[in-house]
Amino acid sequence: MADSAAIAVAAPPARPSERAERIEREGYARRVTDRALEADPVRARTEPDSRWWLTVLRADGPEREEAIARLHELMLRAARFEVGRRRAALSHVRGDELDDVAMQAADDALMAVLSKLDHFRGESRFTTWAYKFALLEAGVRLRRRAWQEREVVLEPDAWIEFGDRDGSVHAELESSELLGHLKAAIDSSLTAHQRRVFVALALNDVPIDVLSERLGTTRGALYKTLHDARRKLRAELAANGLVEPNSDEKGRSR
Amino acid sequence: MSVSDHRHDEGLERVLGPTGFEITCEQCFELLDQYVELELAGADADAHLPGLRTHLDGCPACREDHESLRALVIADQG
Repeated sequence: MADSAAIAVAAPPARPSERAERIEREGYARRVTDRALEADPVRARTEPDSRWWLTVLRADGPEREEAIARLHELMLRAARFEVGRRRAALSHVRGDELDDVAMQAADDALMAVLSKLDHFRGESRFTTWAYKFALLEAGVRLRRRAWQEREVVLEPDAWIEFGDRDGSVHAELESSELLGHLKAAIDSSLTAHQRRVFVALALNDVPIDVLSERLGTTRGALYKTLHDARRKLRAELAANGLVEPNSDEKGRSR
Repeated sequence: MSVSDHRHDEGLERVLGPTGFEITCEQCFELLDQYVELELAGADADAHLPGLRTHLDGCPACREDHESLRALVIADQG
């Protein structure tokens, strides 16, 4: 089976995995949304506040301008909320710089929300839907700011050099004598790019948004690479009886 | 060494990630607001949106986004 985010699970009655695979093929988001709406009638499509937001943001003139200003306040509140949650990890960053980060995140989130208004289908309250844009913008900025002065080692074999880091995954694996097995699987199973991404994200805990910036790619593309690498490694280690196999490979002869 | 020796090795499990079906980062972002509201309404969000929880287990960035959105919505409700 090809490496893919969509993992086949064929043996009935293996739900919900089987159902999930079918949904993936047929158009995941719309299908599960419809199912959720059937199951939970208390949805935002009948929620007055969401209808108000859509109405005023699609209006003309002062009404729309006022609504946009209110939406920006909402985005700024969410961005500052995210800054507050991460402040402890950013104690070395000045407060006014964090305020700037929150404002930039709110500005970009506002633009994203306005450009995607037609994508809002009412599966949640409008405010919940809009919040996620501000939290994403703020979170990405704050992760990158936290790593701004830190080196990201990208050489595929560099992880060996980090074996004595306190509390690292390396130390955990080394103590359980799995380090050698994992390294052998990395060397034999992964491409150079997969090794680079896996080592950075899974072993050295580099935030995916930091790595995506350094490599000029996206979170989604990197996670796909990580996912494929993990599947290969699990298959390799499972073939040697060291771990459980991937869920869609259980029962296959080795 | 055998499976029984290592199936509970948390470090290795974290490194290798979840084994089941999971959606992508893009799909996770698209559905995150719905998932959070289903959770907070006491509905079975995982049954309605299969693969999202598994993705959160494997993707620290999306997991943080989920935790933040959930916390913000709860703060709004309070």
